[in-house]
Amino acid sequence: MCRMCDWLGDGEIWYKNPKNYANRMYKLREPGKKAATSISGAGGGGGSLAQAIEAKANGDMDTFHETIKKMDEHGMTRPGAQVVPLSECIDIINDIGMPVGAMHCICRKGTRGEEENDLNQYSCMGLGTGMFKWERWPERYRGGVKFLSPKEAAEWLEYWDERGMVHMLMQEGGDFIGGLCNCDYPDCGPIRHRIDYGLQSALTKGEYICDVEYDKCNGCGQCLGRCQFNALKYEPTIDKPNIDPMECYGCALCMTACTRNAITLVSRETSPVLKNVW
Amino acid sequence: MYVVINPNIEIDRKRCTTPFDCKRCLQICPTAVFSVHAVRNERGRLTDKTEPGNYALAVSYRDQCSACMRCVEVCPADALTVEMPQEASA
Repeated sequence: MCRMCDWLGDGEIWYKNPKNYANRMYKLREPGKKAATSISGAGGGGGSLAQAIEAKANGDMDTFHETIKKMDEHGMTRPGAQVVPLSECIDIINDIGMPVGAMHCICRKGTRGEEENDLNQYSCMGLGTGMFKWERWPERYRGGVKFLSPKEAAEWLEYWDERGMVHMLMQEGGDFIGGLCNCDYPDCGPIRHRIDYGLQSALTKGEYICDVEYDKCNGCGQCLGRCQFNALKYEPTIDKPNIDPMECYGCALCMTACTRNAITLVSRETSPVLKNVW
Repeated sequence: MYVVINPNIEIDRKRCTTPFDCKRCLQICPTAVFSVHAVRNERGRLTDKTEPGNYALAVSYRDQCSACMRCVEVCPADALTVEMPQEASA
């Protein structure tokens, strides 16, 4: 179980616990105090990522590592984004996350200037009753919001899965699970902050890892190129893919590309090592 | 150990006035070094991306810049300068 499960899961996987979709995650703010800034946002954690990047770009790696360490210590006191496989995203939509509204991706808007104006373009999804008041903030929800039925939402997620996007739960702007985004490097803030700067608090690996059953695999290569985390590579000597369990984030994109059901999800809990690799 | 030094990237905001409408540098950068944001995010108000000054371009990930100069070449306003610091060439 990841740190959010230990903290907020009440003995189960935290994103399967409905209370974590409620505002404030059971931690009431002090009167008059605003919500803590999410570390995943640009300039989160008091702007110290900007300082860390400045130090790194100038070749000052000591300051860089020191700043990142401080940021991560702060980040670990807050929930962070987590990778979730497609099947569990669909469960969330069916069981807990409604209402769901498709909308533009705030990261992609910022990093690439992308404008996603309708359902054919939207790549992010807001979850829960807070979505009903989206029109208060037209700039935040630039491009509008389209509320979807659970069936439509599942089809939309499957579309992005097929296109090779990693699904992630987000607490964008709040202390509760409020978003389910389809993400890729380098557009996605949390993926970039984890991969490029080592911020573990920004993105937690999924509860599972992917495992190849070589008896079922025929080496077709459909899974190649799907992994954004450099965990899956082709082994020319055996004509089969190899998944490094230490690097796997459990996004299951390799699994959903496999036509022979040769890749399965395995809980991290089954390994005495991987249960501590997040 | 190799020490990687990245270039200084300057944005002339007098020239770069409508970056969210233009977005050429944002989209061409291989490592997505830039970011763009609305200067004000007000309740009930949609920002006009064609009004100069409503959006601002920023250099968010300078440590990822390889000085390929594509952003400088693609900028229609000559607003970007990418230069290695003096120390690096010494």
